[in-house]
Amino acid sequence: MFETLPHKFSEYKIPVDVRALLILRKAMEKDLVRTLGDIYNVLKGIVVKDPEMMGPFTKAYYDYFLNIKMQYGDSLSDAILRSDTFRKWKEDNLDRMGDDFDAEDIVNMFLDDVHMTHYDIKEVLDGRELWDKDQGDIEDKDSEESDENQLTRSLDKMADYSDLSLEELLERMKEVMDQQKGKHGGGSHWIGTGGISPYGHGGAAKDGLRVGGTGGGKMARKVLNDRKYFPVDLDAILNDNNVDAALASLKGIIEETAEEKLDIPVTINKGLKRGGLFIPEIKNKEEDKLQVILIIDNGGYSMDPYIRVVQTLFRKMKTRFAHDLETYYFHNTIYNRVFLDARRTKSVEIERIIKKDPNYRVFFVGDAAMAAYELNGISVDSYRKMKKQFKKIAWLNPEPERYWAHTFTTMVIKELIPMFPLSPKGIEIAVQQMNRKKN
Amino acid sequence: MADKEFWTGSEKYLCDRDLAQSFHIARTLGMPLLIEGEPGTGKTELPLQYAADRDLELFVYPTGSKSNVEQFVARFDHVKYLRDSQIEILNSQREEKGLVSKLSTGGRNPENLADYVVKGPAAQAYSAPNSVLLIDEIDKAPREFPNDLLYALSHRKFIMPESGEVLDISEDDMPAIVITSNREQELPTAFKGRCIYHYIHFPEADIMRQIIAKHYPKVENKIVDVALDVFYHLRRIGLERAPTTRELLNWLKYVKTYSTAEAIDKIQKLEGLGTLIKTQTDLERVQKKILNNPLDFKKRSTPN
Repeated sequence: MFETLPHKFSEYKIPVDVRALLILRKAMEKDLVRTLGDIYNVLKGIVVKDPEMMGPFTKAYYDYFLNIKMQYGDSLSDAILRSDTFRKWKEDNLDRMGDDFDAEDIVNMFLDDVHMTHYDIKEVLDGRELWDKDQGDIEDKDSEESDENQLTRSLDKMADYSDLSLEELLERMKEVMDQQKGKHGGGSHWIGTGGISPYGHGGAAKDGLRVGGTGGGKMARKVLNDRKYFPVDLDAILNDNNVDAALASLKGIIEETAEEKLDIPVTINKGLKRGGLFIPEIKNKEEDKLQVILIIDNGGYSMDPYIRVVQTLFRKMKTRFAHDLETYYFHNTIYNRVFLDARRTKSVEIERIIKKDPNYRVFFVGDAAMAAYELNGISVDSYRKMKKQFKKIAWLNPEPERYWAHTFTTMVIKELIPMFPLSPKGIEIAVQQMNRKKN
Repeated sequence: MADKEFWTGSEKYLCDRDLAQSFHIARTLGMPLLIEGEPGTGKTELPLQYAADRDLELFVYPTGSKSNVEQFVARFDHVKYLRDSQIEILNSQREEKGLVSKLSTGGRNPENLADYVVKGPAAQAYSAPNSVLLIDEIDKAPREFPNDLLYALSHRKFIMPESGEVLDISEDDMPAIVITSNREQELPTAFKGRCIYHYIHFPEADIMRQIIAKHYPKVENKIVDVALDVFYHLRRIGLERAPTTRELLNWLKYVKTYSTAEAIDKIQKLEGLGTLIKTQTDLERVQKKILNNPLDFKKRSTPN
């Protein structure tokens, strides 16, 4: 089972390899996976390797396991309310949802059911024992008793459920999954009375035993409905929310080499400590000198929204890594000079910039869109010279990539200087390509 | 048999539910738990408190820019080896000169290379079943450090230097390994693939209140109310380095020495701001944004 999981998750850019599936399988053998909520947690621990992956992971999980697809701009609640899975679950659970719940409450109950883990169930069962002890002396009341019976029944089912063997569990999951794929799968569902989630806390809550109050459901709600967690879309154009993700991409800029050399001072020091026994010490050759030239198009009105965030990004980078950062400005395109200040009053000749150390990494930031005549011979020549001098050079374009082909000048500049989208992903690729270039 | 029980925290330590579950999953699978998150969210506390609460042996390896696998696993003591191997010759020379007393190797035998292996925290943890091993701030280590650990993590095996002794441990006895990172650099994908990953989100006010209660049970609710309000406000205004749990606790430690009324006054005047704000630009920003509008702020933060 789960053969199709890697494929589905890769649609959400979540890589799931054979190792991950093997670990998941092992987790099942070790009894870690008893409910759908457990799968969510275990799989999350295995495949999510980055807080930015949380949102896409949760999306993929809802799609694969529950057949709930989120569309662009959807919140999780929207997607759930629209889904067949939710509709079926609601039908199955109508009895425990009184009339006094609104849509939001019901979605939350659904989420709690989906994300209920075996830890939660255990907590209820443990709580049940305590509860029995406390309630022992008031059994004579009739009303109490009927409630009590109902509660006992549902809790007993939970207990039965937690005794399922792995084979039974897998069998049930498979069965349910097949039905989920087919449109008219009646009977037991993944979610619902016969499904993976045995009686949620709805019934039990009345009696003061509550499951998963702070459990996974809350987290999912948070992840998918709170801007702080989601969506940090790695392909989204740089903005205040994903500036940190972009910074992480920029970190790749510090190169690591496998080249080694003899570390003489350390060899001597350690040799002396060893009482004159000198053993060569090897160290990796490091390139810690990081020099960046940033050239920003701050001319057009179209660039305004991006300038501040680009500057934040590189300023943050500067505080993180000690290095040399120089910023210049231009309007639409560069000719034979760029400007030192944002108001473009003081300028410096391109020729002078070209005399700088070829180890500088150069980032142009601009939409590269202008009237065709603006991109004249001088301008093209300047780009060529820059490219020739600085091998590590990239153009970051805030326009979505699909529009580039519609602008003539963008296409021309793209031919001259490698161009990437101004998104965390784009920056990451730009940095990777830079690092491949050796001087 | 290592401890595979679900652990939810102790009296002194509030373990976030999600974290507790991830930790349990990692221990059950015999895999390391990699915890990332903002500084000051209690990443390091988990293994320390767990070991203390369960009374388990704890091995800590604080990572730094000079960390290498040799320190972490084991190194070969060349000096001792050289000395001991010379001792036999020295002793016979002494005998020739009529000296009775002999130099001792302290029970070490140069024939047995394992005697000269000095074990680091990793090797010690692998030799002590059911222990706890913390690798703190692995992001500070050179990039090859995590890569060098791959084999040991996935095969549960260390090979001792020179002696070639293999130290392996069964999945059941695997120490609970916790690795923390502040994400100052990305860890290699292959390394992350061998860990159970958990990202600690910054605790929300209700959780933070419980954390405070665990640390300073005697602080009055009123003080906590005001302090939390100020604290989360400071986190919201977009500082370069937003204050974290650790800073909040330090701040409370300072103000709790005063009476309630005084303490609240101090919080509202942001006294002891230095414990919360750590950079000059942030300090200026706070002063501009908050201290210049004390009225507005006071109104907001006074609990009714």
